[in-house]
Amino acid sequence: MEKKLSKKALLKSFHNWYYGHLTCFSQEHMQTFGYLCAMLPLVEELYTDEDAKAEAMNTYTAFFNTEPQLGTVVVGMTAGLEEARANGMDDVDEETINGLRAGLMGPIAGIGDSLVVGTVIPILLGIAMGMSGGGSPLGAIFYIITWNLFAYFGMRFLYFKGYNLGAKAVEFLIGAQGEAIRDSVSVLGGIVIGAVSATWVSVKTSFSLLNEAGEVYLDLQSKLDEVFPGLLTAVFIVICWFLMSKKQMSPIKVMLLLVVIAFIGVVIGFFNPGLAY
Amino acid sequence: MEISWLQAILLGLFACLSSMPGMGGSSIGNYTLGRPLIGGLVCGVILGDVTTGVLVGCAMQVVYIALVTPGGTVSADVRAVSYIGIPLAMVALSSYGLSAASSEGAALATSFGTMVGTLGTVLFYGTATINLVWQHMGWKAVEKRDYRKLYLIDMGLPWLSHLACSFIPTVIMCKLGASVVELIKSTLPMDGIAMMTLFTVGSLLPCVGIAILLKQIVKKATDFVPFLFGFVLAASMGINLVSATVVAGMFAIINYKIKMLSVKGVEAAVEEEEEEI
Repeated sequence: MEKKLSKKALLKSFHNWYYGHLTCFSQEHMQTFGYLCAMLPLVEELYTDEDAKAEAMNTYTAFFNTEPQLGTVVVGMTAGLEEARANGMDDVDEETINGLRAGLMGPIAGIGDSLVVGTVIPILLGIAMGMSGGGSPLGAIFYIITWNLFAYFGMRFLYFKGYNLGAKAVEFLIGAQGEAIRDSVSVLGGIVIGAVSATWVSVKTSFSLLNEAGEVYLDLQSKLDEVFPGLLTAVFIVICWFLMSKKQMSPIKVMLLLVVIAFIGVVIGFFNPGLAY
Repeated sequence: MEISWLQAILLGLFACLSSMPGMGGSSIGNYTLGRPLIGGLVCGVILGDVTTGVLVGCAMQVVYIALVTPGGTVSADVRAVSYIGIPLAMVALSSYGLSAASSEGAALATSFGTMVGTLGTVLFYGTATINLVWQHMGWKAVEKRDYRKLYLIDMGLPWLSHLACSFIPTVIMCKLGASVVELIKSTLPMDGIAMMTLFTVGSLLPCVGIAILLKQIVKKATDFVPFLFGFVLAASMGINLVSATVVAGMFAIINYKIKMLSVKGVEAAVEEEEEEI
C-alpha cells in the first residue's frame, strides 16, 4: 500500500521547523539540528523498521543553513521527497535529497535575506514607527500582529507548497513572476525607507558665520534645507552606502569612522548638539 | 530611576527569548521581540513608562532597521540592544532629565544602544559556542538512534546557553547600569567635547542602518530614485509614513504590471514561434 503522510505529522514537522530552526544554533552546524527535528515526525510515521529510520535520519545530518522563513519551502520539498523514497521510488535517494538541499540553500538565502529581512520587515517597521511617533504603543502592537501573521501563515503556505509541488514550488520563487514581485517589492521598500530616513534621521550642522555686528548672516543648515530639505541627512546616508557598497567597509568600521567625524565636527564647530545642564 | 531585581529578571528572560539564536524561535524571538521598537514597548511596560520605552525603541530601531545576519555573522546583538541598551538609555534619560521625544534624547538613546549592541556581539558568539556542547551530545544521540532526544538538544538544552550568555549578563548590566550612568554623568559634563561627540554620533548612526538597507536595494545609480522619492515625500511634502507607504504601494503595483506585461509578451511570442514549427 502506498504510504501517505498524515496532515498531523506534516503539521508537527512544520511546527518543529517554525519554532526550532535556530534555537540550537552554532557556527559549525547552524540549522542542521532544527532540520533534524523537523524531519523526525515524518520519518517516524513513514518507517517502522529501525534501520530504515536511521538511514532516513542520516540524510538530514548534512549541514543546512539558509534564510529560515523562505527556507521553509525546502523543508516542505524534502517532506515530499522523503514520502516518495518511502514508497520505493528509485530515483530518490540520499544523494538527490541532499543535492537539492545544498543547491537551494544559497539562492534561497540570497532572496530571503533581501526580501524578508531587507524589505518586508523594514516596511512593516517603517509603518509601525510612523504609528508609534510620540510614544504610542500602537505601532509596536501593529508590527507584532502583522509580522507574526505574515511569518506564520507565509511559512505554512511555503511548507505545503513545497510538499505538494516539489521542485515546481521554487520556480514560483525564482521564475519570471517571482522576479517581477521581488522587483516591485524593492521599489516599495526603497520609497518607504526614503520616507523613514527623512522622518527619523536628522543630521544637522550648527555652522554659521557672523557679521561684524555679531548677527548671523550665513546659517548653513537653513541654506542647505533651501536647496533640498534634509540634504545633509541624505548626503551622510549616501556616504555610508558608498563606503559599505563600493569600498566594502564593514558596518562597524563605518560606525567608528562616524565617531571620528563627529569628534572632528564638534571640535571645529560643525556639529553642536547644544546641550548644557 | 532604579531597576529592581524583579524588573531585571524579567528583562533577562526577554533577552533569552529575543536573541539570535533565541529561545522564542526566529519569527517570534529575533524578528519580533528582538526588534528595538518592540523591545522598547516591552521595556516600557516592565519599567512602568511605556511612552519613553517606545520613543527610545523608535530611535534605536532606525539604526537596526535592516539587521540582516548573512550566514550567521552579526554586527550587533539584538538582545543587548533591546534588553540592556534600551533600559540603560531609559535610566540615562531620566538621570539627565531629558525627554525621549526630543532629538537630544533620541541621540543619547541611540549612542547608548549602539555601544551596548556592538559589545553585545560577544554574547552572540558565546551562545553559539556553548550550543556546540549540546550539538556534540546530539550527534551521540543520532549514533545511538535515540532520535527523540533531539528535541531536548534543539529546544531544551540551549536554555542553559542563554542562562549564561543572556540572562545573567542582562540582569547584572541592568542592576549596575544606574550607577554607571551616574558615574558617566559626574565625570563627563554635558557641554564637554566627549558628551557632545556622543550626542553627535547618536544622530549620525542611523545613517549606517539605512545605508545597510540601501546596500540590498541599490545596485545602480537609478535605484537611488525610489529612495530619494520617498525622502522627498516625507521631508519636502510632509507626508507621514503610513500615507507614504500607500503611495509607494501604488508605484509597486504599476511596476509589477509593467514587468508582467513584458513576461507575458515573451511567453506569447514563444507560443507563436512554437506554433509555426
